[in-house]
Amino acid sequence: MTEDQIKQRGIKFKRRDILKAMTVMPTAALIPLGLKTVAEPEPVGVYHRKALTEHEFETIKFLSDLIIPADERSGSASQAGVPEFIDDWLDFKGDELRADIRGGLTWLDVECNQRFGKDFVRCSTTEQKKILNRIAYPDKASAMDSSYVAFFNKLRDLVVGGFFSSEMGVKDLPYLGNRVVADWEGCPSNVMMKIEENLKAQGLGISLAAPKET
Amino acid sequence: MAQIRKSPKTYDAIIVGSGAGGGMAAYVLTKAGAKCLMLEAGGWYDTAKQSKMLQWNYQAPHRGVSAPNTLRNYFDAAVGGWQISGEPYFNAPGTDWKWFRSRMLGGRTNHWGRIALRMGPYDFKPYSCDGKGFDWPITYEDLAPYYDKTEELIGVFGSVENIVNAPDGKFMPPPKPRCYELLVQQACRKLGIPCIPSRYSILTRPLNGRPPCHYCGQCHRSCATSSNFSSPTVLLPPALKTGKLEIRCDTMAREVLVGRDGAATGISYIDKKTRKEIQVRGKIVILAASTCETARLLLNSRSPQHPDGLANSSGVVGRYLMDTVGTTGSVGFFPVLMNLPPHNDDGNGEFHLYMPWWNYEKQFRHQMPFSRGYHIQMGGGRKMPGATIFANSQRYSGGGYGLELKRGCRKVYGAFISFSGVGEMIPNDHSYCEINKDIVDEWGIPVLKFHFQWTQDEILQARHAVETFREIIETAGGEVVRTPRAEENWGITRGGEMIHEVGATRMGSDPRTSVLNLNCQAWDCKNLFVTDGGPFVSNSDKNPTLTILALAWRTSEHIRDEVMKRNI
Repeated sequence: MTEDQIKQRGIKFKRRDILKAMTVMPTAALIPLGLKTVAEPEPVGVYHRKALTEHEFETIKFLSDLIIPADERSGSASQAGVPEFIDDWLDFKGDELRADIRGGLTWLDVECNQRFGKDFVRCSTTEQKKILNRIAYPDKASAMDSSYVAFFNKLRDLVVGGFFSSEMGVKDLPYLGNRVVADWEGCPSNVMMKIEENLKAQGLGISLAAPKET
Repeated sequence: MAQIRKSPKTYDAIIVGSGAGGGMAAYVLTKAGAKCLMLEAGGWYDTAKQSKMLQWNYQAPHRGVSAPNTLRNYFDAAVGGWQISGEPYFNAPGTDWKWFRSRMLGGRTNHWGRIALRMGPYDFKPYSCDGKGFDWPITYEDLAPYYDKTEELIGVFGSVENIVNAPDGKFMPPPKPRCYELLVQQACRKLGIPCIPSRYSILTRPLNGRPPCHYCGQCHRSCATSSNFSSPTVLLPPALKTGKLEIRCDTMAREVLVGRDGAATGISYIDKKTRKEIQVRGKIVILAASTCETARLLLNSRSPQHPDGLANSSGVVGRYLMDTVGTTGSVGFFPVLMNLPPHNDDGNGEFHLYMPWWNYEKQFRHQMPFSRGYHIQMGGGRKMPGATIFANSQRYSGGGYGLELKRGCRKVYGAFISFSGVGEMIPNDHSYCEINKDIVDEWGIPVLKFHFQWTQDEILQARHAVETFREIIETAGGEVVRTPRAEENWGITRGGEMIHEVGATRMGSDPRTSVLNLNCQAWDCKNLFVTDGGPFVSNSDKNPTLTILALAWRTSEHIRDEVMKRNI
């Protein structure tokens, strides 16, 4: 395929960029997309659902952004590709977890329809939060809701894990590794000082400055 | 059969396997001038080109989480897997054995943890210490010079500590500890548990043209700069440079061939690409296929001269199979590690400090409910996030949802430390592998069936480890997030899960109760040797690779000397 053909298809990147991306990406990571990627590139970001229906996927999108919204430091879960990650993860992990998550989504709609006469995604944010507040705080939740609290714990783990392991999440934390370090200096002094402060505040009788085991 | 191709050439030695044991045999023997043929069941592996170092979890399927054909992470340099298509194995009823097999040049040396601990004097004479298990036919002093040479060749960091039964070696300087490791060290100090610099075959100084570690913390992915030890980066290049080593990849050894006198004459293997049998001849045969594959090869090498399998007149081939006692699943949360300034915790990959076993005196006074010990490994800090980061931690991050949760996650990032025990298993009569006669793999080779049991010594050891982890966590001001319970056998790993299987062709001083003599030479076949983990008589808490390397060096020198004396 020539660059002209690629342009005609409205694709913004160039052939050499694709090749460059391929050398950086592990080959097998391209396998799910198939060899078609090279011959007939699709716009970046096109994702084919594997585990969830369109409605379920839409619901997951809303929930993801309620769980991890955007703030001054980084974007929201859906901006980091979390709904796609979750759909792919459910497909990978198989029936048990998939049924569990889909069942939880179904319950949310049942509950929203009973209370507000519409599906979760059609509810106002206030209405959505009313439902979530019932199941998002395990210590305060009613024992009647325990199955749905368990569902939300699993969903929260998926959203949080999906977000913070994404490129956006890694930068947010921030994780500062995965790089070449010329001289390993051990524990930086500013971190050591902060731990010392915390130790003192907690009154543990431990100090990192104490003599080491010989 | 017309299909069989016989190679007219006779090699001085045929080596089956290219990992720690096979690589070391090739290194020593080619340097001594022997023409060697190495057979590897997997494909070629070019570390510099194929290492997946410095890639991100988010570039991998499912954020790099493990799958049946990977080890722990998608990027690990581990071709093979927990299951290999076309090559099944079976477990006897009641056995839950896991068998990780490598199918790549260099075998498991590509992805191993690089933890390089010497076995100590007690570890070679465990029966003499407590009346359980068996003594090795050699002593620590016999192997010490080979530990020295091995460490100097491969590069090992550590510190001189003079701790009982944890012998010091020829060390490069160790890397400085991480912040959370300093905290754990102080807790251990209060508890009287030694906590010392770890010992790894990772360079902290240049060695033989290999640059020192760049601290990406990804040794499992193999090192593109050869800054850690693997057979394809450290042992095979100098062996190939002699011009005396030929390596044939994708070859599945099926039988050790023997002559009328019962001596080994070569190997019959299946060339995986053509699926044809090829026979190669060698004056000496060295098996280093990994302990269970080596046992399988011997048991499948039946002949009128060796009706129960080669080197098996004792019936001991496949017996006394051991793995390491792993005690996993213990995690602590440490409020003093919350809200720390961002910093890079990668280091050399695993722990920079560890706790060697500290209760020998008590055990000698019979004050412990179990025999043998374990060392403690830890992991924590601001690691590269994976798909399950912060899983089950809503209690610490604040739970709920929204900005409060997002900020909570940032606060607790790096505040968790996990602990695991790595301990000794005592060999027992119920743990062994045998041929499952009814089933062959896709290469036509009968497959293995495993029998495996932990005993009370191992389970009580795991309990002790869990109790110790709780003490350490609480002493450091932490909160126990989870530790395994009694119903879970205290988190003891499944047999084979630690990938430290050894002992299935053990050495000894009596041909009636061992497969190999004190030089790892088969009692029944004087030109047959084993240099993988098979010769191990016990499986101390020290991770086995360094001992496999040192023992293989010793065995290879013995072969060299015997050939010079025309004894074989």
